[in-house]
Amino acid sequence: MKHVIIGNGIAGVSAAEAIRLLEATADITIIGDETFPPYSRPMISHVLAGSQPHGKLPIRSEHFYADQKITPLLGRRAVGIDVAGRQVLLADDTRIGFDRLLIAAGADPRPLKAEGLDLKNIFYMRTQEHAKQQVAALDGARRAVVLGGGLVGFKAAYGLLRRGLAVTMLITSGYPLSMQVDETAGRMILDELVRHGLTVQVGVTVRAFEGNGSVRAAVTDAGTRLPCDMVIIGKGVLPCRTFIPKGQIEVDLGVVVDEHLQTTAPGIYAAGDVAEMVDIARGCRWVNALWPEAVGQGRVAGLNMAGREVAYPGSLSRNVMRVFDLDVLTVGNVTPREEAGYRIVQTGGAAQKYYRRLVLRDDLLVGAVMINRIEQGGVLRSLIENRIPIRLPPERLVAPGFNFGQLLY
Amino acid sequence: MKQVVVHPERCVGCMQCMLACATAHSRSLTLFAAVQETPQPKPRIHVGAGRFNEGFPNRCRHCDPAPCQMACLAGAIYRRDGAGTVMINPDRCINCASCAMACPYGVIRFHEDPLGPAGHAIAVKCDNCSARVAKGQIPACVEICKAGALTYEEMDAAMRRKTRDVSRSMSTDADQPAIPAGVALLKTIKQSEIALSGS
Repeated sequence: MKHVIIGNGIAGVSAAEAIRLLEATADITIIGDETFPPYSRPMISHVLAGSQPHGKLPIRSEHFYADQKITPLLGRRAVGIDVAGRQVLLADDTRIGFDRLLIAAGADPRPLKAEGLDLKNIFYMRTQEHAKQQVAALDGARRAVVLGGGLVGFKAAYGLLRRGLAVTMLITSGYPLSMQVDETAGRMILDELVRHGLTVQVGVTVRAFEGNGSVRAAVTDAGTRLPCDMVIIGKGVLPCRTFIPKGQIEVDLGVVVDEHLQTTAPGIYAAGDVAEMVDIARGCRWVNALWPEAVGQGRVAGLNMAGREVAYPGSLSRNVMRVFDLDVLTVGNVTPREEAGYRIVQTGGAAQKYYRRLVLRDDLLVGAVMINRIEQGGVLRSLIENRIPIRLPPERLVAPGFNFGQLLY
Repeated sequence: MKQVVVHPERCVGCMQCMLACATAHSRSLTLFAAVQETPQPKPRIHVGAGRFNEGFPNRCRHCDPAPCQMACLAGAIYRRDGAGTVMINPDRCINCASCAMACPYGVIRFHEDPLGPAGHAIAVKCDNCSARVAKGQIPACVEICKAGALTYEEMDAAMRRKTRDVSRSMSTDADQPAIPAGVALLKTIKQSEIALSGS
């Protein structure tokens, strides 16, 4: 059996390991854009913040490909798939034949449209190379502008604040992480960032960048000049899907897969940031471009490719982060668009430096936000993911003393 | 291979296991010296209050596959060869709490640890007392438990005994699986208290 994997991020790497577990001699080829050894992408924000060195990024040995007997084709991007001919097309016209294909191409930063993007010290934040360049640009930098208040923008702003820069964050919602947390938690996070020197401007976008070689200022759509030595664009990510033949493989925002991670084309699978499947908490299809999802999906895709039929229960959004003195944990659907049919239970708030919010639908938990004392977050995540009917009164579930033992009756 | 088996129905909530665990993971390995240490050693087994305020000893199950290991961003969580014990490498841990999100039992804590790097909080959890076991001792929580809520035995034997107890309890003239009389009385009192207070 000849397996080809597009993408050497954690979804592709996990899939390759799962295939190797079941098929000792199968042919495995990985086509990867990045030439660096398999590394922890979420850790690049720790490198920017200075809390971890760049050298700690690799999470597999430099001999990973040789040890697993994988043929690596690195520094190359797939440009097309010949579904009927069972071949992947590369930019240099090379064709790679496959029996089973995994699309784990990941996602690219959502591009920004503005003038002056070619100036130095304007960065996206996606790869270890970006992190390396950002750290190099810190030398002498005093002021930074961060575009976007989602996960990427938030982590960029936090990292730069930790480095002692004066950071201005431009966001469209009233508070950061509006897709991940509710307003109460969002305001607590915002206050914590502001307390540590963050400047926030709401409802503002950037029209152009000015400078002489290097960026010196960002110009907003209102015409305001924001002086800066460094810019990080964090407007989220988009699945890498341009090379996928849409007529033959169903593509929505991401590549649509079934519970076995198989696309609409038999023998072709997708996993990780590029894949779109049912979200357990939302009950509809969603792209959850997150590290733990990529690990789990990659592994299950690999098992299926090697012939063991394993179902993936669906994806689930989740995030945990430390924001100076706040620990934030969020999972599932925490801000249902219409509150009818949902029950929301909350406790704590900004004054207590402690907050919990649970979102229930009938007897199922579908979302949770915790600020500080987050140790039991995994129990809540497990209740959501496994769709366990909640028999404990929600007031007990949201209380500070909640623990696994209370679920046993 | 012996493992720690938890019998929550026997736990009286005395929390002696927490004290013993913290001592076993201190520098000095004695209770009186351990309380003077900085950073203070902390327990890796956690007795929480159950639904009826009864004790519930909660510790790492060393799952296989381990969700915390799969979720670890830094590659710090690994399985010790042979013993099946899931371990956290304190020098690789970046204290990101991704394992807190992954653990379905809520047994991982985050703090500076006497056995970890100085001045940094890290993820800390049960290590099956591997240092004690290597010296021929049994896990500290089991050694201290007076109620029989924590035992150290072959998993297969424990499973067989449990199955036998359950099947026996199905017979019409059989008693329920035995709980010591004192423990049963304590539980009845706690449950009645809650019933009377109406919560």
